[in-house]
Amino acid sequence: MFPWVDGFHWSPGHIIFLSVFFTVVLIILTTFAWAIWRTASDFRTHRATETCWRLNFAELPEAERRCRHELAGRLPHRVCNNAFDCRHCSKYAEFAVLPSKTVAGNAGVNFSDNLLYHRGHTWVRPEDNGTLTIGLDDFAHHLIGHPDSVYLPAKGSEIESNGIAWRMTKNGHEIGVRAPIDGTVVSTGGAKDAWYLKIRPRKPADLRHLLRGPEVPGWLAGEVDRLQLQFSGPDAPPCMADGGTLLPDLMDVMPAADWDTVLAATFLEG
Amino acid sequence: MGNLLVMDRRLIARGAERTSTMRFVLWLVPWVALLALGIYAAGLCLYYGLNQTHMDNRFAFGMWIFLDLGMIAMGAGAFFTGFLVYILKQEDLKPILNSAVVVGLICYSGAMAVLMVDVGQPLRAWFTFWHPNTHSMLTEVTFCISCYLLVLILEYVPVLLQNRQLRKVPSFLVFEHQLHKLVPVLAAVGAFLSFFHQGSLGGLYGVLRGRPFAFRQGFAIWPSTFFLFILSAIAVGPSFLMLVTAAVETFAGRRLVGANVFRKLGFISGVLLGAYVAAKAIDTLVWLNITSRAVGFTPGDFYAYKPFGSALMFLEIVPLGLIPAFLLTLPVTARKRGWLLCGAALACSGVLLNRFVLTVQTLALPTLAFDEFLQYTPSWQEVVTFAGVIAYGVILYSLSYRYLPLFGQTKGADKNVSVG
Repeated sequence: MFPWVDGFHWSPGHIIFLSVFFTVVLIILTTFAWAIWRTASDFRTHRATETCWRLNFAELPEAERRCRHELAGRLPHRVCNNAFDCRHCSKYAEFAVLPSKTVAGNAGVNFSDNLLYHRGHTWVRPEDNGTLTIGLDDFAHHLIGHPDSVYLPAKGSEIESNGIAWRMTKNGHEIGVRAPIDGTVVSTGGAKDAWYLKIRPRKPADLRHLLRGPEVPGWLAGEVDRLQLQFSGPDAPPCMADGGTLLPDLMDVMPAADWDTVLAATFLEG
Repeated sequence: MGNLLVMDRRLIARGAERTSTMRFVLWLVPWVALLALGIYAAGLCLYYGLNQTHMDNRFAFGMWIFLDLGMIAMGAGAFFTGFLVYILKQEDLKPILNSAVVVGLICYSGAMAVLMVDVGQPLRAWFTFWHPNTHSMLTEVTFCISCYLLVLILEYVPVLLQNRQLRKVPSFLVFEHQLHKLVPVLAAVGAFLSFFHQGSLGGLYGVLRGRPFAFRQGFAIWPSTFFLFILSAIAVGPSFLMLVTAAVETFAGRRLVGANVFRKLGFISGVLLGAYVAAKAIDTLVWLNITSRAVGFTPGDFYAYKPFGSALMFLEIVPLGLIPAFLLTLPVTARKRGWLLCGAALACSGVLLNRFVLTVQTLALPTLAFDEFLQYTPSWQEVVTFAGVIAYGVILYSLSYRYLPLFGQTKGADKNVSVG
């Protein structure tokens, strides 16, 4: 194999054969090493969270990727291909001026016009001091109720938009809640408070990607529909809604449901 | 037990419908038992040596080599599908790509495992790399298959990292993404390696001057069997993928890929099979009339020994070659799934028969005046060792199907698809 190994010959056949072999091995190993280097580079340059989110987003079913303008009734149908990041959507301004149609009823899920909502079921409230308060929305509260444990990031730590902001457990299920915005954690709350994190955005926060106004009831109505389908089982036919409302603490009320799937869809696991 | 159920459920992709944990475990139990038996038989062969088999110095290639060659030909679907998708941009075959990688990995790793038992002396296995005999086709085969197995493992890693739980680890997810972007490089390397080792496996027989039944003329250093093996492998690789997919669909109780994927695989397989049959027919005529006559053999000398009569040659070329080529390509039959699968099964059987003929019939036939026609029946250790490899393949594929996205890349693709 090498000149110093018994059996090596300086013959053209030997040299050509081994050269081709070593070239192939080198290409294979370089490919592997290149992938590792690129991975490390993504983490070094803080692109990893964005990459992970976009990969998870691509795995979401089409029904869970509906554009905010469809949710608000401005468009009949549009699927988001921009990882829910309207800040970089070329069509946002064009569709945002269209008249919206508000969905009637809230199926027992409350929302506020003063809050901005992320699709991972968190809300954001800009404060006067420039910080942003983040909490779980009412839909998530209906599902989880009071979590068994909450693991919040330490003060001063950085969270990245669509990365995991904090984790919770409930009835043995681990739940990762996605951050709605980038920033530094300045204060932490918890399940007993009405909020979980207060963060200071890295730069003046652009909150355009968060849902608001007429988009919110349309989105929540879709989420309730999705929940009904998930609870009805894979082979159940679609049924008319009965006009009922969501019960609180569903994870305790319906422990036998497929919570793994429900939670994954609710918190955009991908 | 409860933990097992929860763990199993959490490993399955969201939205994917799979059989219950209990049924899956029951499905695996006999295969695991067979694998254990296979490991025991292989252990006997490695510990006591090849006296555990019915091979000897005269009949040095037996069931293992025949089935190894067959498996490697069937596994060609992996490199060929990768080549079609990444190099020739046949994007409509993408839904079957992950499954092709798993099939290829199983075929090649299984073949390597059996070869290791066949060669024996595992502690000296590295000698073949450290002191290579570059004049031997086997050396080229060893180098190419080892490298290609490495390529297949690297191609399998992104598939593995798409598991629902592994995806939750950000570094795995980003690595999978980065490696996936480089898969075309691996596909190109895999095509290069496969081209040569498929060819060299055929060349291995074609250069045997002492075996006029196998010896062939050719081009430069490569006998005609070099090219015939490549052509036959890429012809049946897609057919074997169709058969595997159809089997999985039967067990899963739902369609996993669209009819267009089947039709395309069938057409590619059929056209290549037609080319192979034509080349094989010409090669056979040249061999019978020129090559073997030059060393004093007539066709009657090769086909006088039963059960290896001329009917076997006819069977290989017409019912298991020409007919499936037509079944796979003619629009009237290619539209029908049953005919497509029938054609694929016949095509795979034809290439398996070809590998059997070149391995077993070559060694059984006498070549010198004082030689006798040899008979060989594999020992139970040989049979069980190989059965263990089949069990390994079934287990790995079953686990991969259950926990990894083998068909389609997005949620919902794993559910029923239009088959119109």
